[in-house]
Amino acid sequence: MKSQPVVKTSYKYGFHKPEASFFKTPMGLNRQVVEAISHFKNEPEWMLQFRLQALMMFEQKMLPTWGADLSGIDFDAMYYYISPSEKKFTDWGDVPADIKDTYDKIGIPQAEQKYLAGVGAQYDSEVVYHNLKKKWEDLGVIFVDTDTALTKYPDLFRQYFGTVIPVSDNKLAALNSAVWSGGSFIYIPKGVHVDIPLQAYFRINAANMGQFERTLIIADEGSYVHYVEGCTAPIYTTDSLHAAVVEIIVKKGARVRYTTIQNWSNNVYNLVTKRMLVEEEGFGEWIDGNLGAKVTMKYPSVILNGKGAKGEVLSLAFAGKGQHQDAGGKAIHLAPYTTSTITSKSVSVGGGRSSYRGMVKIINGAKGSKSFVRCDALLLDELSRSDTYPTNIVNEEDVTLGHEASVSKIGEEQLFYLMSRGLSEAAATGLIVNGFIEPIVKELPLEYAVELNRLINLSMEGSVG
Amino acid sequence: MKSIVVKKNEEKVITVLWIGKETELSYDIKLAGIGSSIKFLGLIIGKGMQTLTLNVKVTHAAPQTTSKIIIKSVLTESAKVDIEGLVKIDPGAKGTNAWLAAHLLLLSERAKGRAVPSLEILENDIKAGHATTVGRINDMEVFYLMSRGLSRKTAKNLIVEGFLREMIEQFPKNLSQTAERELRL
Repeated sequence: MKSQPVVKTSYKYGFHKPEASFFKTPMGLNRQVVEAISHFKNEPEWMLQFRLQALMMFEQKMLPTWGADLSGIDFDAMYYYISPSEKKFTDWGDVPADIKDTYDKIGIPQAEQKYLAGVGAQYDSEVVYHNLKKKWEDLGVIFVDTDTALTKYPDLFRQYFGTVIPVSDNKLAALNSAVWSGGSFIYIPKGVHVDIPLQAYFRINAANMGQFERTLIIADEGSYVHYVEGCTAPIYTTDSLHAAVVEIIVKKGARVRYTTIQNWSNNVYNLVTKRMLVEEEGFGEWIDGNLGAKVTMKYPSVILNGKGAKGEVLSLAFAGKGQHQDAGGKAIHLAPYTTSTITSKSVSVGGGRSSYRGMVKIINGAKGSKSFVRCDALLLDELSRSDTYPTNIVNEEDVTLGHEASVSKIGEEQLFYLMSRGLSEAAATGLIVNGFIEPIVKELPLEYAVELNRLINLSMEGSVG
Repeated sequence: MKSIVVKKNEEKVITVLWIGKETELSYDIKLAGIGSSIKFLGLIIGKGMQTLTLNVKVTHAAPQTTSKIIIKSVLTESAKVDIEGLVKIDPGAKGTNAWLAAHLLLLSERAKGRAVPSLEILENDIKAGHATTVGRINDMEVFYLMSRGLSRKTAKNLIVEGFLREMIEQFPKNLSQTAERELRL
């Protein structure tokens, strides 16, 4: 390995393990690489054809010309598939020592025991550990890695795979479709409420790695699930790519909450397509926290496809030095009496740039629909930047749509007050920032909320004063 | 495209009334001098098959500059409007205050609106905000007025007038008269 870790004390997940891959495709992307992945996974013919068609789309499509600067991505200098282990495990004791040690450091096995209904752990291209507590298995809940789902539940898989985000959606979704590996597959049967979260943890270990997990969640009528994902990576001097696709189907009266705390190291391009299709009276929620990565482009979407469907996006972006968080959300109202709320909070510090990019579209016929978008941005210094790009399209008379945004710095009076009570400037600033993002943080599971506050205080150390 | 440069301590007011003549209007406003300010009032009354693309770009290139962009639009029949606003605050434009608002009232099943009010901010010692609303006439308000003896048509006209009154009052006389004439339809 030529890559040397760059010293950055505040990122505690920057360590890396020697790469001991079991199977790895050569650098770069072509038909042979895609065939090799499919062959190695022993996939059915239709999946190989799906991948090859997606590869063609990827080659034809252009990178988006709007949004963040993606010119630094060298698609030819990337590894598209690295399998760290021959097998998948359901007991942490069996997981290879290096990999297990990584997850121990991040704290996954401990959290599993305490707060979670099930855990999946992906290391580079493959899910190495997956387990669901027996109670939920007995109720018919399926929680496996996506590759296993293709073999074990072929009919269910094929019925929904690629239906919410088609291959042709965008260049990165096409890339994911061509080389996808890992991710979670979840099915919640009718009326089942999984009342403690399911969690997946994504780790990139190898340098110049592309991680392309593919997640598919189906919440059947009247069911409920909360899925939490976390992501970290080592710090390398070369860039890695994370291009996931997440498809979620929320059936009649069901509710899905999807929480992401993205804390990639600052050499990862994080370009993710996430979309929920919400049927009648269903409720889809995205809680999307973007703290890490060099560049993020991610706009979780809710497609409100049935009468009375509800969608909510809570987006939190924190852009420090050298980072561009281009995040936001989309709500597409396709049916009457649908409601959506998008709340975005962003903080830019130390030359970071955060952009809110969002869309609300209400088609003709979606009568009685309501949408409200609120974005607030905090700019902590003169070097940083904040943008807001909201698109509102209304083709129906009987709607209520509101959008509000504000950009500000930390109020002098607030700072003065706190400092007069004996706080240092840094502590006072940290307190104000934590107060600013509180509406989103309070929606997170407790251990994440604590971690988030800690991360933000660390990221701001030395940035003021 | 109209280019407007506002100089040191200058206060400019721009009033625009659109009643269907042009299909595209573009304004590029630069607050070039310290203490300069701009107030842009846009009133858009669309009917029939009329369409409009309105671009308003404001650049704050100097400190202590103020911008207030307010666009109100009333659309009937199959009218369609596309509003693109962009407020840019350059580094160093300290003490800047920016406000960008677009309000659309749709009076027909077939009317269409698109509003993209964007902000690009590269300076932290500022205040900036924007707002968009899209909606129709509130049924409760119509019901209230009708219960006081007004016809439905008069009630609706009164509400539309109330929505635009504040802006029309700030218009020069010839424009406000034209606007009122158009609204009587």
